[in-house]
Amino acid sequence: MDRKFIEKVMTASEAVEQFVSSGSIVGIGGQTIGRCSMALAHEIVRQNKQNLILVGCSMSISMDLMVGAGLVSRTECGTGNVESFGATMRWRRAVEEGKLEVRDFSHLSMAFRFLAGSLGLPFMPTKSMLGTDLISESGVNSDSYIVMDNPWQNNDPVVLLKALNPDVSIIHAQKADKYGNVVIEGFKTHEIEMAKASTHVLVTCEEIIDSDEIRSDPSLTTIPYIYVDAVILQKWGGYPTSVYHHYVHDADHISLYQKVARVGGMEYQKYLDDYVYGCKNFDEYLSKVLDSSSKNSLIQEMDSLLE
Amino acid sequence: MSDKIHEYLMVIEAARYISDGDVVLVGTGLPMVASLFAQKNHAPNMCYVVESGLIGPEVIPTPVSVSDPRVMNKAINHGTLISALGEILHRGLADVGFISGAQIDQYANVNSTVIGDYNNPKVRLPGSGGANDIATHSRKILIIARHEKRRFPEKCDYITSPGYIDGPDGRKKAGLHVYDPDINVITDQCVFEIDKKTGKLFLAKIMPDVTIEDVKNNTGFEIIISNSGPEVVLQPTQNEISLLNNEVDPTGVYLKH
Repeated sequence: MDRKFIEKVMTASEAVEQFVSSGSIVGIGGQTIGRCSMALAHEIVRQNKQNLILVGCSMSISMDLMVGAGLVSRTECGTGNVESFGATMRWRRAVEEGKLEVRDFSHLSMAFRFLAGSLGLPFMPTKSMLGTDLISESGVNSDSYIVMDNPWQNNDPVVLLKALNPDVSIIHAQKADKYGNVVIEGFKTHEIEMAKASTHVLVTCEEIIDSDEIRSDPSLTTIPYIYVDAVILQKWGGYPTSVYHHYVHDADHISLYQKVARVGGMEYQKYLDDYVYGCKNFDEYLSKVLDSSSKNSLIQEMDSLLE
Repeated sequence: MSDKIHEYLMVIEAARYISDGDVVLVGTGLPMVASLFAQKNHAPNMCYVVESGLIGPEVIPTPVSVSDPRVMNKAINHGTLISALGEILHRGLADVGFISGAQIDQYANVNSTVIGDYNNPKVRLPGSGGANDIATHSRKILIIARHEKRRFPEKCDYITSPGYIDGPDGRKKAGLHVYDPDINVITDQCVFEIDKKTGKLFLAKIMPDVTIEDVKNNTGFEIIISNSGPEVVLQPTQNEISLLNNEVDPTGVYLKH
């Protein structure tokens, strides 16, 4: 949240160095195979920020990469999921081996926690999760909710969800101007509330647009500049997940990631060495995994879906 | 009748529970396929809603995710998770909620969180996602799953999404606004339906060529049969099969060809 109307363009390396600390609560943008903040996740791994608490709704391979690199102490989310590609495997194994604390919520409950945070409210009520183990099992989430009666009606329990304000959120968007006015196209999941609840917001984008374009159709602005600290031009910054209007997800690379994440050990370490630690930035990773013909086919497939 | 046809019929039969004009909260996996089939077959005016915020798309086959651009096609709104799960579902405007899950018990509770103990898991599953919200707030709940004994235990290891919880008043006692939803569980062997008097599932329909014995052998909870006995699920028409094959899942993303 940098309320000043100043230019905020920087590199991913500068943004992570300045705004992500070990121990930070990090809000994770995107969903499963769509518009995940991969470039910033890579950079956080490269800079070895530790003891992170990752929060979000449907957390995917951006989360899994940070868990796999051993940087995460806790997740709070609705799912660890790559849908038809399976569960997020490093996350799953870490939970199974008791190496990662996990707090489960429904997706709407997580979005409501961010909504409360975005409004400066202490909590948000919901009728979700009642009667299930999401609010009864061992009380692991119990410092995040209270069940009470609706003050206006007897025998009408509601769950009060404690507001969640991430220290920093990472989001990949289609467009932003240099001041941090962000345009997200397609689904927007929990990202607007999460960004507005966050102390800092880092946004990579496919394109930096002129501010006149923002002002020519302000109804398209998803996140106004006052919430945003860093704008990073990063084409293909959501790869291998899809970015609406730009490219589809790369099923082959997601499958490759899932394969090594399932096996773990040396094979997973090699993936991190080759594609994250061994690259000075995200562009170098992209040059290792994507040639121009594979880029073209991902772009063309998106184009064909937009016809 | 082959396994393949039973799997096709599972999807087709599930789609039959969606009426034209319904607002349907569609979960990931098989619900996306069955809802797409309904949209193309008999419910062109259904409103397909997915949790990522997509409202009323004309879905392009075959989406692999609720964030797939195929689910964004010609939508009436690309909104937020709160527009879908909050302002439509929590608001009480979903006619049908459609989910899947790893375990479904006799009260139609669904587990998509963990096999074994939550604090010492045998298998950690992805988690609720929007499923808890969908099962909590929809007026009619559809659950689709391939029929395997381990999927249908007497009691879920963990209740992620509420069915009737522990009996006919389970939802009311827990304080759910939708306290007596219709629930159907559609598998490749049968259709279970909730009996609102007991809060338990009973065997409402059976697939052609499947016996009650088969269902019993593949189910971990007691099979309850009504006095009239189970109906037989209507055979698919050739048109339905070819629609599914050619226009809903032409490359076999979810269904074996």
